[in-house]
Amino acid sequence: MAIVTEKSQTRLLEKIKECLDKLNEKMEVFIELQKNEQKPENLLPGLPEALDVMTLLSLPDHLRKTAITLCKLGEATADEVAENTKRARAVESGYLNQLVLMGYLKKERRGRKTYFYVEK
Amino acid sequence: MGKIIAVHSYKGGTGKTLMSINLATTLVAHGKKVALLDLDFRAPSLYAALKTNDSEYWLNDYLNNVCEIKRTLIDLTEKYDFKNGGQFLVGLANPHTEAIRDMGAKDRKWEMRALGRLLALKNSLLNDMELDYIIFDTSPGLQYSSINAIVSADIVLVVTTQDTSDTQGTKRMIQELYDLFDKKALLLLNKTLIGTTSFEKEKNEIAKHYESLHTLPVLEVIPCFCDVLRAGGTIMFVKEKPDHPFAKIVEEIAGRIEKI
Repeated sequence: MAIVTEKSQTRLLEKIKECLDKLNEKMEVFIELQKNEQKPENLLPGLPEALDVMTLLSLPDHLRKTAITLCKLGEATADEVAENTKRARAVESGYLNQLVLMGYLKKERRGRKTYFYVEK
Repeated sequence: MGKIIAVHSYKGGTGKTLMSINLATTLVAHGKKVALLDLDFRAPSLYAALKTNDSEYWLNDYLNNVCEIKRTLIDLTEKYDFKNGGQFLVGLANPHTEAIRDMGAKDRKWEMRALGRLLALKNSLLNDMELDYIIFDTSPGLQYSSINAIVSADIVLVVTTQDTSDTQGTKRMIQELYDLFDKKALLLLNKTLIGTTSFEKEKNEIAKHYESLHTLPVLEVIPCFCDVLRAGGTIMFVKEKPDHPFAKIVEEIAGRIEKI
């Protein structure tokens, strides 16, 4: 029988939390997509889009707020965006992931955090 | 932390440049550190108004990622003999035809990067150089350079007149631009025809009318002054005519902005 030390237990729990976070993020995207009745394939353009002001103007209100905040921050996690917009982290995560699918943003995982940014 | 103010209007010729120069210099006279930037790349005007073009680089170069913002700034504090600890920095748009043509032919990706460069001024000028205000003199209407300026600004001063087409365009612009970007915008009613007998009463009536029409607060109602028009838009009241009623009005406006 394996001896479960406190340390390995913590590691295991961290791993589970990380997996749940990833799962949560994916779920948020699907919930968001369903809300807007858009299929993922419709959101994947052939070429990456530029997030210029005219594009910002054409975005729906909820996504525009998220996109402008990210433009101002340059690079940010869903937590940092949520802090600025005063909306829930899960909501911002959903919107950010939707903007990634639309080709306006990029995301990168560093350690346990996911950073969103506008491609220069 | 300092603030970015964009001076904008729907139509040209409403008095943006005159207001930008006078607001900037009045704030400098109050001891503030101010950078006045000409973001009207289609029709640059600050170089002519301030009779200076001895910068090493233009703002065009900054947006083209050729140089840092500091290299575009000309310090006019001594030239205009500002004391009181204020600093008057100016960044110019390149007035050469080729440069104007070049700026008009940029693609969306470039405009996106230009927005990033404007947003970065908060760090470089307000944080690092500790300026109190950046004032953008923008191009009129709804085009890339002015919308980029508006998105990067903390406060938008909308200069408007009693002209019917300007009023209608301004109303649309407020609903379809400022509101969408959640911008703090304030109206400056310029060139108004106010009689001298019941000045305050008329002024209040005009302010009330435009406030309800545009659903934005009116910062000031400015009468039309013949000598302002005669000066060709280049007069720096705080230095040249400090006792002129226009100078007093800008003084009021600057005071209100400092309280925001």
